[in-house]
Amino acid sequence: MAEEKNKRMLSYLEQLKLKATQQPHYGGDITNEEAQMDIRDCPECGAARAYHKGLTACAYCGFVFMETKLTDGIHIKKENNS
Amino acid sequence: MFGLFGKKYSNPALLEELRTRQDRWFVFLDKLETRMDELTTAAVPELHTVYQQDDDPYKRSHGQMLMGLIGQVNHMREKANEVREDNIVSFLYGAEATVPVITSEAGRDYHNRILAFRMACINRYYIFDEKVNEAIVLLKGTEGQQDLEGAYREQLAAFERIRDKFSCKQCGGNITIPKMFFIDTYVTCSFCHSQNTFKPSTAARMVMHNARALAEQRTAQLLRAYEESNPQDRSLYAIYLRAMFNEWNSIVPDMAVENEKFYQRLLEEHTINHFK
Amino acid sequence: MSENPLLAPIHGITLEDYSAACARMGSGLSEEEVAKALGVELPVWQEANLLWPERMKQDATFHIVTLFGQYFGQADQHPKFSVVKAAPPSAEGNANTEKIKADKDYYQELEVARQVAYDYGVDGAQWILDKYGITIGDFQIAASRWNDQIHRDIQADYAGYNARQAAYKAKYQQLFAAAQGGNVADDIEF
Repeated sequence: MAEEKNKRMLSYLEQLKLKATQQPHYGGDITNEEAQMDIRDCPECGAARAYHKGLTACAYCGFVFMETKLTDGIHIKKENNS
Repeated sequence: MFGLFGKKYSNPALLEELRTRQDRWFVFLDKLETRMDELTTAAVPELHTVYQQDDDPYKRSHGQMLMGLIGQVNHMREKANEVREDNIVSFLYGAEATVPVITSEAGRDYHNRILAFRMACINRYYIFDEKVNEAIVLLKGTEGQQDLEGAYREQLAAFERIRDKFSCKQCGGNITIPKMFFIDTYVTCSFCHSQNTFKPSTAARMVMHNARALAEQRTAQLLRAYEESNPQDRSLYAIYLRAMFNEWNSIVPDMAVENEKFYQRLLEEHTINHFK
Repeated sequence: MSENPLLAPIHGITLEDYSAACARMGSGLSEEEVAKALGVELPVWQEANLLWPERMKQDATFHIVTLFGQYFGQADQHPKFSVVKAAPPSAEGNANTEKIKADKDYYQELEVARQVAYDYGVDGAQWILDKYGITIGDFQIAASRWNDQIHRDIQADYAGYNARQAAYKAKYQQLFAAAQGGNVADDIEF
C-alpha cells in the first residue's frame, strides 16, 4: 500500500519533469547568437553611410534610410540626423 | 429548588461528535502533511537537477516544474480549507444553536466544550498552514542563486577576446569595438567612416538584463543591515540604495544617466513613506 | 499633458507607437518587423525599447504606464501596424482572438484557464496558443480592454464575481488534473 503510493508519487514527478523540460516555451527557445558586424549600404546608389553625414539619409542620392527624427538617446544623438 | 433544575441538559451524542470530528480533522491534516512531506522530499532533488540542466537563460523549465509543484501544495491547502468550511465551521454554527444559552450552567459547560473544540481545530489548521508555507519555501529554495558574478566576468573576458576581431563591412579595415555594448549599436570605421552595426552576443545582452540583480547580490549585506536594524535606521537604506546603484552603473555605465533618475525616485519615495 | 517631457517621442517613436509595437511583438511580430513598421533600424528601436521603460520607472505618478496600457489595448487601430500582421495561427484562432476582445466572460474564463495551466506545470501562454490560437499579445490587449469593466463588476457584485471565478477554476483544475492522472492528494478524504 505504501509502496503503491510511493510509485504514484514518483510517476507523478517523472511526468511533471518531462512536461516541464520537453514542452515548448512560449516564444520559443532562446538561441545563443555570437556577436557580429553588419552594414546597410544605400540600396539606391550603393554608397556607404558616412558618419558625418548622419544616419537617416544617403549623403549621395538622398535615399531615406529612416523616416524618423532622432533625439538624444543612449548612443544615438540628435546630431546623427542627416 | 431541586425541582427547578431536576432535568439537567445533557447531550452525549454531541459530545461524542465533538470528539470524533476533532479526531477525524487531525487525522485528515496529518495525512495531508505526510503527503506534502513525501512530495517535497522527492521533488527537491529533482528540481535541483532540472535547474542545473536547464540551459534556458530564464530557467523556464525549472520555473514551470516549480509552479506545478507549488500548485499541488496549494491544492492541498484548498482541500483543507474546503473541509474546514464544510465540516468544522458550519458544524460549529449548528452545534452552538442546539445547546442551551451560555448564561445557563449547562449552557456554559457545553459552550466551553464547543469553544475547546473550535480552538483545537483552528490551531491545528494554523500548524498545517504553516507547514504549507514551509513546503513552498523549500521548493522555491531550489532556484538557487544564479552565479551572476561569474557570468558577468565571463562576458568581460569574452569581450576582451573579440573586441579587435571585427572588420568594416565596407572597406575591410579593422574595427575595435570601443566598449562593451549590450544592444545593437552603430560603430564607425576609423578608415572609411562608414556606419557599421555591431550586434552583441546573446550572452552579452543578458548582462544588461541581469545588471540590477547582480548589483543587488553585491550589496545584499547592506540591505540586510538595514532590514535587521532595530529600530529601523533609514540612513542605512540610503546607504544601501546608493551602493546598489553605484554597482548597477558600473556594470552598465551607458545606463547611468537613466538609472540616476530612477534612483532619485526611489530615494524620494522611501523618504516620503517614512514620514507618513 | 503634451508639455510633459516624459511623453516626448524617443527617436521619433511616440508612446502610442511603442505601446502598439509591444502589443504586436506579443502577438508574434519579430523585432525586425516592428522596427520596419516604425520606419527605423534595429539600433534605433532597441534604444527606444530601453528608454520608454525607463520613463515609466521615473514617473512616480504612473501616468506614462497608464497611457501605455491604454494605447496597448488600442494596438489594433494603430496605422503603422495596420498592414503588418503576424501570420494568424488559424482561421479558428482568428475567430477566438476576436471573441476574446468582444466577449468578457470568454476572456475571464480563459484568463483563469491560463493561470490554472501554470499551477499544473504547463506553460499557460503556450497552452492558450495551441488550444485557442490566441497569442499572449492579443490576450493582453483583451485584458486592458476589460480590466475597468471587471473592476466595476467586482464592486457591484463581489460574491457573484467570486463564484464565477471559482467555477472556472474548478472546471480547469479538473481538466488539468485529469491530464496528469489526478492530484497527488486526491485519495485523502476527511
